Amino acid sequence: MKNSKLFVFVVLLLVASFGLGACAPAATAEPAAEAPAAEAPAAEAPAVEEPAVVAEPVTIKYWHTMSDAEAAKLEEVIASFEAANPGISVESTRYAYSDFKTALLTSIAGGDVPDTARMDIAWVSEFASQGALMQLDGAMADFDAIAASVFPGPLSTNKWDGHYYGLPQNTNTQVLVYNKDMFDAAGITAAPATMEEFAKVACDLTDASKGVYGFAEGGTYFWAPAPVFYAMGGKVTDAEITTATGYVNSAESVAAFTLLKDLYDQGCMSPNLMGGGIATDAGQGTGIYGMIIDGPWMVDIYKGNYPELNYEFALIPAGPNGTSSVVGGEDVVILGGTKNAEAAQKWVSYLMSKDAQVALAQVGVMPTISSLTGDASMPAYFAIFMEQLKTAQARVPSPKWSDMDNAINNAYQRILVGEQDPQAALDQAASEIDALLAQ
Amino acid sequence: MMSRSPHAPRAKYQFVSALLFLLPGFLLLFVFFLGPLVYSFRISFFDWNFAHPERSVFVGFENYLGQINNPIFHRAVINTAVYTFFTVVAKLVLGFFAAIVLNQKIPARSFFRVAYYLPVITSWVIVSLLFMYMFSGMGGLVNYLLKDVFHLINKNIIWLADPILALVPVILVDIWKGVGWVAVIFLSGLQTISKELLEAAEMDGATPWQRLTRITLPLLRGTTVFLVVVLILGGLNSYVPFQLITHGNPMDKTHSILTLMYRATFSRMDFGNGAAISYLLTLFVFALSVVQLKMLNKPIGE
Repeated sequence: MKNSKLFVFVVLLLVASFGLGACAPAATAEPAAEAPAAEAPAAEAPAVEEPAVVAEPVTIKYWHTMSDAEAAKLEEVIASFEAANPGISVESTRYAYSDFKTALLTSIAGGDVPDTARMDIAWVSEFASQGALMQLDGAMADFDAIAASVFPGPLSTNKWDGHYYGLPQNTNTQVLVYNKDMFDAAGITAAPATMEEFAKVACDLTDASKGVYGFAEGGTYFWAPAPVFYAMGGKVTDAEITTATGYVNSAESVAAFTLLKDLYDQGCMSPNLMGGGIATDAGQGTGIYGMIIDGPWMVDIYKGNYPELNYEFALIPAGPNGTSSVVGGEDVVILGGTKNAEAAQKWVSYLMSKDAQVALAQVGVMPTISSLTGDASMPAYFAIFMEQLKTAQARVPSPKWSDMDNAINNAYQRILVGEQDPQAALDQAASEIDALLAQ
Repeated sequence: MMSRSPHAPRAKYQFVSALLFLLPGFLLLFVFFLGPLVYSFRISFFDWNFAHPERSVFVGFENYLGQINNPIFHRAVINTAVYTFFTVVAKLVLGFFAAIVLNQKIPARSFFRVAYYLPVITSWVIVSLLFMYMFSGMGGLVNYLLKDVFHLINKNIIWLADPILALVPVILVDIWKGVGWVAVIFLSGLQTISKELLEAAEMDGATPWQRLTRITLPLLRGTTVFLVVVLILGGLNSYVPFQLITHGNPMDKTHSILTLMYRATFSRMDFGNGAAISYLLTLFVFALSVVQLKMLNKPIGE
């Protein structure tokens, strides 16, 4: 039989690969030591030649995950940068957020990196801990001046092990977004100011018979419940990032998830966050969700998809210690493997300039330069986000953040399906995060 | 050069040309298959630094032990096994009967043959998303049918929120997509069975059931074994429907082995653990293959 021959061949190959593989451990000690010698010339030689190369035209690659409107605006920013810096051109490549990390990993592992990239603030320490990013303090001439011009919160997301590996290109946070028509129809005149009011409004807006929900979250990943979590006084770890016990399972953290669990059980929060289903923007746009919690990009999304929607923004309802939310945004980084460090630094400086930040603000990208707060050139709706940013908190700046996020995500899911009560679920998350921190 | 001894140079020439013909294949095999295979085996023993491989720390079997003691990995193994079992059995049974039907002189036979094969060539991504929407907890087609049309349930089932129910769309999409291919392979097997044999049996008074169990099935044994081998390997390597429909949710209880490998490698940047997971799967597949190989080597069709 032909098939069996093919099969024998495949199995033989597997055996062969194991035979070869078995040799590898013996060899590993050597290659591990040899590798730097082999790698180093490739990585360092161009850096030495750098000054001589500058006169030649260089192309800086810049990878990002911008929206349509932002990407269009970016081309204008690139054009003005190129006009001001003859000899340097910028080639931007856009990725879907969900593919971006893989794309970056592949490029880094393959040694063919983009010179610069705009990445999620939560990723910088992760990439920096692997030595994939260029340290900017001490290497970039105008680093100190730029660092002094931006908000300290977003800047701190670039810090890893005492050094800075990026600059905060933009910032954002989430606020309450509510359907004004639904509020009016229910006779609710103002956005809920406290979490008690928020829970009541969520249930008042709910109409199970019509499949209408007062509140909806996009998922169970930490970003979604984070504003409620922080506003209720929740914390993930201590400030020094040494332990989660007593923080992620504190009374405040438990109260936050209990509030969400109650809303879910009462049917006042849409089941979409667990079961797939109607996305928060589509649901709010079509009058199915009364309130969602989301960021400044909703303005453009609603303008494009639901121009009729009558919605308003409000601060996250206050918990025991007032309002709070979660800091988001992106940092611009220079990849360690770049062969055009000098030109890349010029491009990064330009992205951090007022000109570039004001230009991108026109399409909803919030600037990080503190002096632009309240500037007349900023869109009016930035005001509420700027106000929320004063109390918003950053996620834990740790290379282990993805795993911590996953631990809390799973705890939230166990709570929602009723497998554990909030205290037990968060106790488990605390011990999981502690184990990560101990590594 | 050619004239002195007619035989030796010719043999040499043939050897060289054979070598040249083989070279591209071997090169491809080594560069794209064996090379990476060995390289990733090495990675699996390190806390691997993807940006600076020279900074990787040798950790021995830690990556392997970490997985073997990890409840999420256990669950992924169970899910993969359950998925493989149900999809292989269902595809074999349904595919076989589809082949029997398609082998008859039925009206619009070509149309049905095409219709059965269409799911096979549609995109995994699209049909996975389609099944995800059909099993949506809100307004999904399946809930609509169960609740509003047949009144079997009085409340929407949130399929994807339950670690066991979430596997239903994952398994169904694979069955739906795979039946056509199985049917085509069975069909080609059926067409090698001589009509005379079946007619002779009929003349001798064999019932359709007897013809099926005494003639058709035994003669299809080779085809069946081939399908079992290939389908099991395919099932163990399942990735797309898990990744797109459940994403491991809820509570990391709906991973397949490969989605776990993907997450370790590309979300958690832990190449060492990712490689260890791949090799644990390889080990399992290898063991299974040995058993299957024995099955294949048995005389067929007697």
